[in-house]
Amino acid sequence: MVEKQKNTLALFYCQNAPESGEIERQALEKEYGRSIRLFPIPCSGRLEPVHLLKALEEFADAAYVITCPEGACRYFEGNQRAKKRVQMTRSIISEIGLEPERIGIKVGLKEAPKSLKELAGEIFEDISGLRPSPVRGCDQ
Amino acid sequence: MNNISRLKRVLENGDFAVTAECGPPKGADPEVVLRKAEILRGKVDALNVTDNQTAIVRMSSLAACSLLKKAGLDPVLQMVVRDRNRIALQSDILGASALGIRNLLCLSGDHQVFGNQPEAFGVFDLDSIQFVQAVKTMRDEGIILGGESLASSPDIFIGAAANPFADPLEFRVIRLAKKIEAGAGFIQTQCIYNIERFETWLNMAADRGLTEKAYILGGVTPLKSPGMAKYMKNKVSGMDVPDDIIKRMEGVPKDKQREEGIRICVETILRLREMPGVKGVHVMAIEWEDAVGEIVEKAGLLPRPIS
Amino acid sequence: MITAERKPIDEIREMIAPFKKVLALGCGSCVAECASGGEKETAMLASALRMAAKMDREDVQISEMTIDRQCVNEFVIQLDDVIDKYDAILSLGCGAGVQAVADMFPEVPVIPALNTEFMGETKGQGLWVESCLGCGDCMLYYFAGVCPLARCSKQLLNGPCGGSMNGKCEVNPEVPCAWQLIIDRLSGFGALDRLEMIYPPKDWSKKQGTGPRKIVREDQQR
Repeated sequence: MVEKQKNTLALFYCQNAPESGEIERQALEKEYGRSIRLFPIPCSGRLEPVHLLKALEEFADAAYVITCPEGACRYFEGNQRAKKRVQMTRSIISEIGLEPERIGIKVGLKEAPKSLKELAGEIFEDISGLRPSPVRGCDQ
Repeated sequence: MNNISRLKRVLENGDFAVTAECGPPKGADPEVVLRKAEILRGKVDALNVTDNQTAIVRMSSLAACSLLKKAGLDPVLQMVVRDRNRIALQSDILGASALGIRNLLCLSGDHQVFGNQPEAFGVFDLDSIQFVQAVKTMRDEGIILGGESLASSPDIFIGAAANPFADPLEFRVIRLAKKIEAGAGFIQTQCIYNIERFETWLNMAADRGLTEKAYILGGVTPLKSPGMAKYMKNKVSGMDVPDDIIKRMEGVPKDKQREEGIRICVETILRLREMPGVKGVHVMAIEWEDAVGEIVEKAGLLPRPIS
Repeated sequence: MITAERKPIDEIREMIAPFKKVLALGCGSCVAECASGGEKETAMLASALRMAAKMDREDVQISEMTIDRQCVNEFVIQLDDVIDKYDAILSLGCGAGVQAVADMFPEVPVIPALNTEFMGETKGQGLWVESCLGCGDCMLYYFAGVCPLARCSKQLLNGPCGGSMNGKCEVNPEVPCAWQLIIDRLSGFGALDRLEMIYPPKDWSKKQGTGPRKIVREDQQR
């Protein structure tokens, strides 16, 4: 098992991401336990800002989305929309005093595709510097 | 007090007219206006007073014109439609006429966002052409908008501005025709640096007979520096400052720049004097009223005809 | 459609501060079209407000509801069943919507979450432009379908002014000069001479003459 993560991550990911099927998802859940909650979606374009916001509101210290590489979205524009919605969500949480880094995006690379597991690892690295969410803190 | 328009008299007599511009102060001191009047006395036929130019609050043009009139000069009341509705505009015309002011220049006015009151409401109840028409109707028919009769009519020589350098070129002349049709008896143009382009516009106006229907005065502004030339070229809309003018200004040492600016200005006036469609010059020496006398003299326009 | 944009969250929080049970009320019409007050935006705003309240340890309940049109009293009346649960309504409707709700429930404070802006068009995805100011006396025929009151910064009826450069307005170079558009369109129709006529002063009494306006249609009433 991976060293216990201090931050809880909500991870939305396009089901076309490499090695992101049912088996891999279950393995990740076993590995990270309560530090991760995974949300497979048929296209990252289905992600709405409110999904990211509700994740932060209800349980997460950070909420990320994984998209397909530029130009490779099966539905053509989904990954671009995801990018814009991530930006929009960041600006909303900045307005209420939350660090914009709590919301993020990982865009796949065609030349060097990474698996869901690898990307999850990278994301946990990226968010390791965040303190526990002040939204969550009040429930403790 | 001589209650006639000296400007109109000079133009009707066929003399090349000279007008200049005077900006009222950002304050309530009448002496500022009177000092400017003294600098320009005898150098011009009439003196335009700007109306909250660039939407910056200054002493009202009407008040400043009244001061000039009392001092024996012939003021041109500039009025913009940005700040007053039709009630106030018509009322001010009656007041101006009562104070002996005999010349009017009707303008749209710079948008309020450019000045020091950007939060103000822009009125624009009439546009400049409708305003010209309203004043003409007050003067010639003795009625106001809506048809009600005036007890006595104002006596005003009506003018409008024209910009030969703004877009779209073909339409500029149609707009000029509309202003003259509405009742403009004289036209003052935006300042000229591109003489060829001005001549194109003038010829188009002449083709429509407009140079015979109204007196066109070409606008000129002496440059103080290449910086000023570049600023006007790039930052002021509706201006055409050719690169060779800028080169001329850059080509002289700093202490000779004003001299060069005046030289260019005088050359422009001399060219204007050769054009039959141009009946006068309007010198806009922004915050440099001292230069007007020198320019007018060097252009061979002194002394002014006594009217 | 009427366009609006969300107020800054700080400003909204300041206005809802005195209240403990707030209903964020969205509208499914114009403000949904311009992505400022529809169901999605209402959910986003409510979530952000709840998080902000938690961070400041404020004890406030923020619920969400969206009705089809906030400006039509047949829809506003749907609030009858739930209004008693709240001590304030945070309306994401346009100014008309906010007031329709306030008129229906005058004892309940209704707070605007949006700044209503203009009557306009969706020109493209994510782009809305102003085009009508409701003068009550439409002259669009004379100006080839371009309104000089709404789209000329100086409301000139005999434009353009001297500040029109390269087809742009001197006030904002991103704004096309409405008069350039009118001239181009009329030229396209071969009707440029229509502009030689001096268009008379606008009759503003059709907009202001009777104070705030009202339309009554008996054929539409019971």
